[in-house]
Amino acid sequence: MSSLDAAQPARVLVTRRLAFLAAVVAIALLPLVFTDTYWRTNLIVCAINVMLAIGLDFVLGYAGQLNLGQSAFYGLGAYASTLLIMRLGVPFWIAFAAAVAFAGAAGIVLSLFAMRLRGHYLAVASLGFAVITYQVLLNWISLTQGPLGIYAIPPPPALALPGLPAIGFRNLANLFYLVAGCALLSYALLDQLIRSPIGEALTAIREDEVSAAALGINGAAWKVFAFGVGSAVAGAAGCFYAAFVGTLVPDAFFITESFTILAMVVVGGMGTLIGPVWGAILLTLLPEVLRGIGDLRLVVYGAALTLVVLFMPGGIAQAARLVLARLRPERQPELLR
Amino acid sequence: MTIVLQQVINGVVLGSLYVLVALGLTLVYGVLVQINFAHADVVTLGAFSAYFFIHGAGGGYVASIAVAFAVGAALGWLMNAAIFAPLRERGNELLPLIATIGVSVMLENAMLAVFGPIPYAFDSPLSNDVIRFAGTFITLQNVLIIAVSVATIALLYAFMKFTFLGKALRAVSQDRETAGLMGIDPDRLVMLTFVIASALAGMAGAMLGPVLVLTPFAGTSVIVKAFAIVIIGGFGNVEGTILAGLMVGLIESYTTQYLGPGMIDIVVFALLLVMLAVRPTGLIAEKREENV
Repeated sequence: MSSLDAAQPARVLVTRRLAFLAAVVAIALLPLVFTDTYWRTNLIVCAINVMLAIGLDFVLGYAGQLNLGQSAFYGLGAYASTLLIMRLGVPFWIAFAAAVAFAGAAGIVLSLFAMRLRGHYLAVASLGFAVITYQVLLNWISLTQGPLGIYAIPPPPALALPGLPAIGFRNLANLFYLVAGCALLSYALLDQLIRSPIGEALTAIREDEVSAAALGINGAAWKVFAFGVGSAVAGAAGCFYAAFVGTLVPDAFFITESFTILAMVVVGGMGTLIGPVWGAILLTLLPEVLRGIGDLRLVVYGAALTLVVLFMPGGIAQAARLVLARLRPERQPELLR
Repeated sequence: MTIVLQQVINGVVLGSLYVLVALGLTLVYGVLVQINFAHADVVTLGAFSAYFFIHGAGGGYVASIAVAFAVGAALGWLMNAAIFAPLRERGNELLPLIATIGVSVMLENAMLAVFGPIPYAFDSPLSNDVIRFAGTFITLQNVLIIAVSVATIALLYAFMKFTFLGKALRAVSQDRETAGLMGIDPDRLVMLTFVIASALAGMAGAMLGPVLVLTPFAGTSVIVKAFAIVIIGGFGNVEGTILAGLMVGLIESYTTQYLGPGMIDIVVFALLLVMLAVRPTGLIAEKREENV
């Protein structure tokens, strides 16, 4: 697949470009179709969750490292950018860059453990990291105001393009364009990485680290890279979350959030990049569609996670491939990724 | 001095409960090399079943511990039959872990829907009887916790060391295939391990009930520490788990005394991360190659 891009049939490349175009069109149209605040809010939450899910998928689905610390990187991004903006008066986009770098750096610190640990040990270590981060956010009251939270966080500043009226982000449609645009950009970036030799190195580590090492792949270095990238994307999602919601409390970044993101990745299909996108959208919108289940939102997440692992471990992506292969048997399912 | 001594008592009480919970995790890891996230919810359900046995059915507190034990055993059987047994053939080490996270999220929020978020006042009649000794005090409840924990651990130890089933269990955790060749049915022993592990967790829940704030998420705060304990002690190692459990109990009571309760998780998990960095095999290393 990946590094053989040039050798792939032109049709596949065309399909990918068409899919990208379709995504751009869909993002452009969605806020025009859903004009009320309620659905536009949901759209933005979807875009944020998509970023969190593809960030985790890069680490879990491709590098094969079970990272239960995604909620921590999400929270670190949110708090870092907010504190820079509100305490030091740093402009939004500089704070954004700093927070993304900070979350990425935190991911690299955690990956230093991943270099020595595998499977379950890494899962517990990353869970420990998430617990510590949550407790620090909760207890370092002089910095984060703890459980009282930080209020009145401003939205991103309006974009003033020459010759055009200023684009303000108090408008939810514009904010959606911004967040979804960043989600699409993250997707394109991760997609390029996965289709490059880097993607092959990561999947080789996932399948068998010893054999990968025998092929000259530096497992430790690539794990550091995967964690850095995956958590930086989560950090970016955190910046948007803070600017969108306007309020930060540590409870938004409790370890349950890691499990929620994990459910999105697994239900969508880990090890494919498009799967977690659908997983994030489905699991964000499902509880909204099934109104009245309110408290049962997480019951649905848990049940979906368990059932998918038991009966369809490749998630939505696997189901879609099965359906497509049945509809068009002449095309190899491999090319449909 | 009395404060130091008092915190030793509190730490040992808490530590012995943690040991009961963590032993289940370590036993399951021994035979299956799997982590069960839903172990936390067995603790919580054990606590709730004891609570409702006392307040709904009018039973006594000591009997409620036995009820929680039975409920835990049943849950363990169910979880093994529904999740771990079907996934065992797939040979993927992460899938069962992810499935149990799903089960845990599902159970916790189902309990939230049924029992509500308001903490239940689970009072043990034994909590009011206090024994004073050299300026320190210990409630009868805490004496019971220590006695039951010590007795259970001793029984478990004797079971593992001296009975045929216990020996078979250790054989399976050392080498499943060879044990199978010796005529031991690994599947049945895995199930037995799950039942024992979950029964211990349920029982621990009944005794933790009066100590903890009883909500649907009560088990979660215990289980994250239990994970830390099994790793600090050395995954799959019973002696290491006991040692680490008591250690974490003591650390917790001293942290509460001198640094404040908000620091407990930070101190415990900082210790965990240091252990992972310095000695990832735990205090007492099991002879395994895959862990680290």
